[in-house]
Amino acid sequence: MLALGALSVLAEELPVYRLVARDGTFEPKTIEVAANRRFKIEISNEGRGPIEFESRDLKQEKVLAAGARSSVVINGMKPGTYVFFDDYHPDSSKGQIVAK
Amino acid sequence: MGNALFIIWRESAEAMLVVGILYAWLKKHPDVVRGMRYLWGGVAAGIALAVALAAVMLGVARLLSDQGLEYFQLIMMIAAGGLIVQMVFWMRRHGRTLKRELEENMQKSASAANWWGLLAVVALAVGRESAETVVFLYGLGVQDENRWAFLGILALGIGAALLTFWVLQQGGKVLSWRTFFRVSEILLLLLAGALFVSAIDKLIALDALPALVDPVWDTSAVLDDTGRFGGLLAALTGYRARPALLPLLFLAVYWTTIVSLLRRASR
Repeated sequence: MLALGALSVLAEELPVYRLVARDGTFEPKTIEVAANRRFKIEISNEGRGPIEFESRDLKQEKVLAAGARSSVVINGMKPGTYVFFDDYHPDSSKGQIVAK
Repeated sequence: MGNALFIIWRESAEAMLVVGILYAWLKKHPDVVRGMRYLWGGVAAGIALAVALAAVMLGVARLLSDQGLEYFQLIMMIAAGGLIVQMVFWMRRHGRTLKRELEENMQKSASAANWWGLLAVVALAVGRESAETVVFLYGLGVQDENRWAFLGILALGIGAALLTFWVLQQGGKVLSWRTFFRVSEILLLLLAGALFVSAIDKLIALDALPALVDPVWDTSAVLDDTGRFGGLLAALTGYRARPALLPLLFLAVYWTTIVSLLRRASR
């Protein structure tokens, strides 16, 4: 029984959220996630120029060339709102992750 | 346009700080000719490093995997931070004896290892930040239909960076040598601290270190670290609006150690 339990924990997939970046805008602007649970964000840059997905709250920084895709894994977070932005378009591009 | 200019200036500010301060210090050093060779050699190496990193980031060169790039950036941050701290104390030792050596006509030139250390600091400072500038500029160049607009922004960006360099040198002339180097030391030590904080943040994100408490406080209402000024402050001093406990503990230990070492070196 214990072995089956352990196996099911290992097999548990990380929830994945999609984020599309396009020359300074993010879609969606708000991502709702479950608090205290690890998750993955798959970022794809569908714009014409590079973007840098950055969040000080989440301690993430990733440059994505036009047309590139990448993913970041975020550890479980306390309930709250966490801001991210595109460092190459800092004025226009703010988004947030809301953990509930 | 303003956005592009600000980004180009911001990314070069860190490198300008290191190169500018070293340049001002070297001019007063008896071994200035040799020193300058290592300085400019470091700039050249830094530019080469920046182009290589940009190529990896843009997916043009498959030199490093995604994970590999993260770890490589981590190593660069820690190495840059450590070398800057070492350089500050090295400059202090040589700065203090400099006047006496000049008066006694002694030719005390630093060992080769120290010069290579200088080259390494410069290469890392220039390379790390310039990689993002190269990627950003590449993006601008590729997007803009108007070639002249792109070249114009590039020229203005370089101009802004050179202006920063010039202002730094003027500071060396307006302030007394002693005051200028005290201020330079503090700026460089703040920068090294910021690099270590970024490295710790990255290690926390990679799950290699525990955050302990996250966040300890939230000062984003006072000074948001995602805005233009807040972001710059974060990069140059390690400020975080919502810091985790581990980086805070580190900064406390770091500054206590640095201050006591500086006091001891002053005697």
